[in-house]
Amino acid sequence: MPIDPLTVLFLTLLGGAVAVDGTSFGQFMISRPFVAATIGGFMVGAPFHGATIGLILEAFHLTVLPVGAARYPEGGPAAVAGGAVYGISDVTPSALLLTVLGALLLEWVGGETVRMMRHGNVKLISDDHGPRATARGLERRHLAAVGVDFLRGMFLVAAGMLLLRGVDLFMTPLWGFGEELPRLMIVAAVPALLASTLRMVGWRMWFAAAGAITGVSLLLLVG
Amino acid sequence: MKEIPWGVRMRMLLRSFSVQGSWNYETLVGAGFAFTILPALRYLYGTGDERFESAVARHSELFNSHPYFATVAVGAVSRLEADAAEPIVIQRFKTALRGSLGSMGDRLFWSTWRPMSMLLALALFLAGAAWWIAVVTFLLVYNTLHLLVRVRGLRMGTESGLQVGRMLREAPLQTVIDQASRAACLLVGIAIVLWGAPYFSDPVAGLLMGAAILFGFSVGLRTRRLLITIMAGITALALAYGIIANGA
Repeated sequence: MPIDPLTVLFLTLLGGAVAVDGTSFGQFMISRPFVAATIGGFMVGAPFHGATIGLILEAFHLTVLPVGAARYPEGGPAAVAGGAVYGISDVTPSALLLTVLGALLLEWVGGETVRMMRHGNVKLISDDHGPRATARGLERRHLAAVGVDFLRGMFLVAAGMLLLRGVDLFMTPLWGFGEELPRLMIVAAVPALLASTLRMVGWRMWFAAAGAITGVSLLLLVG
Repeated sequence: MKEIPWGVRMRMLLRSFSVQGSWNYETLVGAGFAFTILPALRYLYGTGDERFESAVARHSELFNSHPYFATVAVGAVSRLEADAAEPIVIQRFKTALRGSLGSMGDRLFWSTWRPMSMLLALALFLAGAAWWIAVVTFLLVYNTLHLLVRVRGLRMGTESGLQVGRMLREAPLQTVIDQASRAACLLVGIAIVLWGAPYFSDPVAGLLMGAAILFGFSVGLRTRRLLITIMAGITALALAYGIIANGA
């Protein structure tokens, strides 16, 4: 099922918005993979599938820390593209796995473009900092940098949707090991990633165990 | 001493949302800091004054901070500018502040509050809540503290000036970090069980998940990289096999 041009336009605009939300403006966290992929899926009429792939991408992204000048993958635009493309694909485990891996590749590309943009910002700002700074010039260049980031996000989502749709159309039919293997890979990956976040959030094993007991109790109560 | 009016503080607060807008490897958030504090400088010095251009130049130099805590620095520095503090004092103050504001924000937001809020949303979604409830819950929980820190930080800064360090030490940030850490660990346990629930009756999936959880516990933060490598390797094999099988 193809996406109509107007939806593509809105998705690329969403890509710009989540790119600037990641660093340049707001940081309200609409750029988190779970949120961005869900909205991406919603825009193509499949919010649940968007949320499903968003949950997996979020599990991969939970331990990524945007600290200082570190290089890190960029989750937002990749998740928008992933949520939208998975939303229109045949919802099979192999399609899900390939879209997830494609989105993770796109996250890496996004991170590299952030690095390039930050080098570009050095040039953009260099004429207007320190003794040469003027208020108007500084404001203009600062806002221009935000605009460049927005355009970068739009481009990433447009290119990303092409890439992921290509993967979905041409690579998913080539999957050679049946649907059980990708299902098991995803089933195992998410708890491993969730467990790994304990190192980051505080390694309180008793609380994690209490959480597991609470989860089982919830299941027993709800059935 | 000149008070900074409410309108000027509001403009600084709105501008603080883009404090990282021109993040670069030379001045980090220096230009963003100057962009954020400009309304106060315009109010204090007027645009034609030489002191104004000099202040803009000083504040566009190297600076770094967690984006949400930048309002603390912007508020405190605008207070010092209003008190006509010496530029060298302001420069030393900014240097002293930038490390602590960075690490404080990283520990509070990136390492605990954000994962906790997200794990809550994921647990809700896995428990069967509608997708929009999970998304809205995350955005509400996360941004409540985010906006509180921005707004209170600016107020604390503009009211305290040089004393902002003491005010920050008195703020219950460590308590919030500890509570968020406990909640995040609890939610990790809940989310893992809810994710695994549909596969409890499948012994292969169950065993694999058990091994995966142990893998995640023991490997820690390297899990992401290792898993991507393993999954990409298996996928490459599956695609190669598929191409050969189709060709044959």
